[in-house]
Amino acid sequence: MKVEIDRELCSGHGRCFTLAGDVYRSDDEGYNADRGSIIDVPPGHEAAAKLGIRSCPEAAISLVE
Amino acid sequence: MTEPQVETDMDGGVIKSRFGRDMFNDFDIDDPKFNEHFFDVLDEMVTKCPVVRSNVGNGYWMVTRQQDIRKVGQDWRTFSSAKGYMPNRPEGLPYLMPEESDPPRHTAWRRTLNPFMSPAAVAKYEETIRSDVNTLIDRFIDKGECEFVSEFGTKLPGWAFFKNVLGVPIDDLDMLVTGVDKGTFAPPEERPGHFAKVFEYLGNYLAIRKDQPPRGDLVDVIAAGVEYEDGQLAPWEDRVSVLVDMTFGGIATTTYVMASAIHHLATHQADRETLVDNPDLIERAVEEFVRVFPPVVALGRTCTRDTEVAGTQMKAGDFVLLGYSTASRDPRVVDDPTKVDIGRQTVLHSAFGVGQHRCIGSNLARLELRATFDEWLRRIPDFGVKPGTQPTYETGILRNMKDLQLVF
Repeated sequence: MKVEIDRELCSGHGRCFTLAGDVYRSDDEGYNADRGSIIDVPPGHEAAAKLGIRSCPEAAISLVE
Repeated sequence: MTEPQVETDMDGGVIKSRFGRDMFNDFDIDDPKFNEHFFDVLDEMVTKCPVVRSNVGNGYWMVTRQQDIRKVGQDWRTFSSAKGYMPNRPEGLPYLMPEESDPPRHTAWRRTLNPFMSPAAVAKYEETIRSDVNTLIDRFIDKGECEFVSEFGTKLPGWAFFKNVLGVPIDDLDMLVTGVDKGTFAPPEERPGHFAKVFEYLGNYLAIRKDQPPRGDLVDVIAAGVEYEDGQLAPWEDRVSVLVDMTFGGIATTTYVMASAIHHLATHQADRETLVDNPDLIERAVEEFVRVFPPVVALGRTCTRDTEVAGTQMKAGDFVLLGYSTASRDPRVVDDPTKVDIGRQTVLHSAFGVGQHRCIGSNLARLELRATFDEWLRRIPDFGVKPGTQPTYETGILRNMKDLQLVF
């Protein structure tokens, strides 16, 4: 599974890395460290990845494959 | 909900007979009827009225659905913050920075301020905040009763911010906290005077700090200023404004969520017992409390061009409120949104705003709330509302709980 985090839309709500810290990372500002890129979801963490998607108030994360 | 849902209902007749005012077409965010029927009005609006109209003063729109909040909040080019967040803004009121500005200036400030308010940065304050929670509880735990708002709710966020983030002298703490408290809760005509004293203090404090050796904190970077798009350093009054903006943003707001959540726990034994027995569930409960008890009802933007939202035509210059409080109750994105469900798995809300102006203090607010409930429930697991009393509220752009008498 791959997800993409939109660089412009990520506003640092922090829901993704708080709820699914094995999938999403925070940077020094409290924004998603991988915004602007596509990341691999570690096997077995698909549900967490989707929780992160659902929980983003900006709808900044999307499922790529 | 027992009434059948209709997609829109632009006929305010039913609403008017229910609430005493056509809240859809003749809204006034400061009307006491809105305060009195707050949650019911929000629910009617978000389910039936995507764009509310107010004719007060210069008039304004309020966008209610979560998808439209996102559309407006994320499109700063069309919906600018540069004319302020307040509808019918009084003449001559200085703009708060960076809240009342757009990119690139807004971005320049946020990039500089963000690292001091990140989850990792505020985590350093956890021990002090927990200690402060206990200090405040110590003051009333043996009395068996307290007035939560004045004895706890207005104090903890003020201490957390002024002490930890700003590093003001301890001796000045009481005066500042009282100033913000009275600026929020005193009779309306007295409030500006109290806030003015706080703002004056902050301006003097920034000037003093500018000449002192840096401590590596937020105040240093505010005093140093940021470079604007014209290559110039931010003028001094903008730097003071940033300090004021950050102060104003996080005290009364956090107080409302704190007091509302404590009230919920005081009146819902099962939820209280769940959290007493399972403190690891507090973090999720905090997010649900933030969703259902919105301290920020709505904040505004100004249209830079003619545009359209949810079928409503808006003109350049029109003022548009983002209904953060309605969007957090949108049944299209939240199941059973009127229910306070502390076990809710996906808590989606707009309490911290949407877009680039997302509340910079959100991580500190969450920490304060989590520490408060953790320590409070450990020390006072059983509490209720004092018989014969009930909390009272005040609503406008912001919502406040004015008092909450508890017994334990």
